Parts: sequence; structure tokens; C-alpha cells
Amino acid sequence: MGRRIAITGLGAVSALGTTAAANWDAAREGRSAIGPHLFDGGQHGPEPVSLPAALTPDGFQAAFEAKHGRKVSGLLDRFALIALCAAAEALEAADLLDSPVLDQRTAVVLGHGQGGQETLEKSYERFFGLKSPRVHPATVPKIMVSGGVSAVAMQFGVHGPVFATSSACASSAHAIVQGAGLIASGQADVAVVGGSEAIATPGCMSGWQAIQALAGETCRPFSRDRDGMVMGDGGAALILEDMRHAEARGAPILGEYLGAGMTSDAFHLTQPSLAGTSGAMRQAVAAAGLAEAEEVLISAHGTGTPLNDKNEAASIRAVFGERATRHPVIATKSAHGHLIGGSAALQAVIALQALKAGLAPPVLNYNTPDPECDGVDVVVGQVRPIGARHALVNAFAFGGLNVSMAFAA
Amino acid sequence: MKATESDLLDLISKEAIIDREKLTRDATLEDLGISSLDVISMLFELEETYGVVIEEGDMPQMSTLGEMLDFLLSRINAEAAA
Repeated sequence: MGRRIAITGLGAVSALGTTAAANWDAAREGRSAIGPHLFDGGQHGPEPVSLPAALTPDGFQAAFEAKHGRKVSGLLDRFALIALCAAAEALEAADLLDSPVLDQRTAVVLGHGQGGQETLEKSYERFFGLKSPRVHPATVPKIMVSGGVSAVAMQFGVHGPVFATSSACASSAHAIVQGAGLIASGQADVAVVGGSEAIATPGCMSGWQAIQALAGETCRPFSRDRDGMVMGDGGAALILEDMRHAEARGAPILGEYLGAGMTSDAFHLTQPSLAGTSGAMRQAVAAAGLAEAEEVLISAHGTGTPLNDKNEAASIRAVFGERATRHPVIATKSAHGHLIGGSAALQAVIALQALKAGLAPPVLNYNTPDPECDGVDVVVGQVRPIGARHALVNAFAFGGLNVSMAFAA
Repeated sequence: MKATESDLLDLISKEAIIDREKLTRDATLEDLGISSLDVISMLFELEETYGVVIEEGDMPQMSTLGEMLDFLLSRINAEAAA
């Protein structure tokens, strides 16, 4: 990889807040956005059900629309609107909103596990429930998984490479890696990367209940009494930029993308595999030269499911061996829930701010050490001062699709 | 249910995402940037609100907003009277 890649802008929208800074403040202070929510399938659905979730409050787009109008945002499903707001914040932070680089030399790559689930369920309610032969004419463009990247391109006049990635819970990690690749190969100088998800809909939640992945009360990563994940919604964006391009224009340098590892378990649709997850981490560690590092902040996939956390702890031990306990492990899904396709980008946004501040935000809702997660240093209790200058961000998706990304402060 | 010109302008402003004050009778659909997807969305909402089914293919050739308003009002209010 010939070109170094700077990070020059961050944006985030989640239940923790509607800016990157607000998300960091909440994570640092140990605030959780998880609470009980009622999921009501309406007159054609079953009885409403209460489940823990971390949902972005409606109206999150107000600041965006005050600045940019509603011409693009007014036609979007929630997942794409979240992506657009996060991308706008990141572009503004990078001082790129009116830059000529957007026209031809910028890429947009965002990841989403699914597309416009809310739109899909509303149109199917009309079709199957109300027996209406006609659904809204914007149904197809609102549902498509590339709706978010198209919106960002239209809003900001981006004519270069624009596409979405989809790999369930690793979608935005793959997006970040692909955006970095476009810069490294010289196909772009700037890449708007990240992802979002908005699938906390009544129909979709019934699917998550069916697979028995959801926690009864809350998300407790690495705690012995953990019993599942908590659905979140939201998203995040990062601006990746060729280092020389960023330096030449005096851009704020918030960190550096060092490389990543990507593997596939080729094993099982829902069970993790140590070879796959540790393989991705090992590649990322090698790409960034972190094998002997004094201290690396590890932002774990940390969903709070019994299998993931056990396997992830084993992966960290497998990669770092005796040195594993030097590295503080955080799991911010305990605060913002699992944003599925948007998770990895939000975790990267939080991890970069954690490196900058020299603070590791605490894993919340942790009650009891789990012998099966032994040998790793989980940050519990309260925010902890750290000296780490590097971070690893893990994303291990259903279907065995693994990404581990390395960043420097 | 009868519709007024003001009702329709509200609906067009919402569906095509155009400031209400820009919607004058002599403005052309092209100048306003009203696309065929906007028109279909509008017809969908008219059906929801007034129960009048108007296919896009039923619409005559027209260039100004005023012509479109007259056509839509005549169809909606003819059915409402019937």
C-alpha cells in the first residue's frame, strides 16, 4: 500500500447522540442508551412486544435539513437518511463540503446489512394486510441497499466510484476497507466510508427473536451472565483521505488508517470460528505492525452473545498470546446497541476519539468475570486512562464474515 | 371529499419537496423540477386522501402547474360530486 491514509472527518448518529462528539461523550461517561421499547406490528400484526433496544430518537435529521434542505433527504428510508446525516457531518468536519475534490476524485462506500426495512414493512402491510394493489411509488428506491450512497452522491455532487457493501454485521467494516483500497490504488483521493442500519422494525425484530440472539434485559459483553445482543439503530461515517492530499490542504488529521484483515469462516451461518476471527485480527496486526506493540486499544465486536464473546476473547489470546492482557478491550455495543451494518463504523469513530483523549470507555452492564473470557483485559467499572496510540476494531458477522481494522491516533 | 387548489398545492409541495411559495400557476413543471416519480407519488397520495384513482397515462400533455391543478381538481371534484 503506497499511499498513507489519513482520517480527516467523523460523523455519527445513534441513540447516544446525533454527532460524533456526542457519541464519544456518552461512551466516555458510561451512559447507556438501551431501554425497553414497544414493537407494535399494527392492526395486522400480532400483540405488541416489549424488547430492549437502543433507538435513535426521531428528528435526528433536523440540523442536517436546516443546512441542506429536504430535496434529497425527503425521499429516503430511515437507514439512508441516517447515513446521509453522518456523511454530511464528516464532510463538514473535514472542511470538504464545497471542495472541488468531491466532483471526480472522491468515492462513497457505505455498508448496510439490509436496506429500507421500514419502507418494506409499510408497503407489505398495505399489500398483504390492507389488500391494496398499489404501494408507494418510491418503494423500490427507498428499499434498495444502495439508497444511502446514492443520496450522499446526489447531495454533495460526487461523480466518482460510489457503491454499497453488505456483509451483515461487518458491512461498514468492509466499506471502510474498500474505501481505503480505492485511495491506496489511486482511484480516489478522498473516500466517504461507514455505514448505517435501521431494522428495529416490528417484523424484523420478530426474526431476531426467532433466532434467539436477543438479550432479555440488556447487553453485557464478556460478563458471565450475558444472554444476547441488543438491537440498535444509527450509523457513522469517516472521511479517509490520501495523507499528502490532506496535508497539502491543511486538513485536520484525526488519525490514520493502517490496514485490515478480512476472512471468511466458510463454516456456519450463526456460529463463529476461532480460525476465521483470529485470522482477520492477525492480518490486521501484521498490516499495522502491532504484534509487539506495548498497548493496543481493542474495540471488540463484543455483542454480548455467549458464543461471540467467548470466541472473541479466545481470538485475542490466540493473536497476542502472553501479551494479550496488555491490551485494554472495550465493547461499546453495551452503550449504543448493535447497529448491525453500522456498528463497525461507529466503533471506529468512538475508538479514534478514545485514542485522541487517551481514555478507554467502560464496558457497561458487566457483572461477573467469565472464566471462558479469561486472559483478556476487559475495561469495566469506569473510564480508564490509556497510553495506547493504536486501535483494532473488530467486526465479526453472521455467516462468518470477519474484518479487523487497525488505526493510529 | 372535495379538494381545493390550496389543498393540492400543499400536497405537491410535500410530495415533490418544493417550497410552497415557488408553486405558482404559470411555473412550468420542468422549471419546478417535478419529475415523473414526483407525479406518480402525487397521484398515490391523491388516491389515499380523496379515493380518486388517476393513472399517470390518463394525464393529458401539460406544461404548467396551473394546467395540472385544473386537471386534477376537475377529476377529484367530479368524482366527489358523482
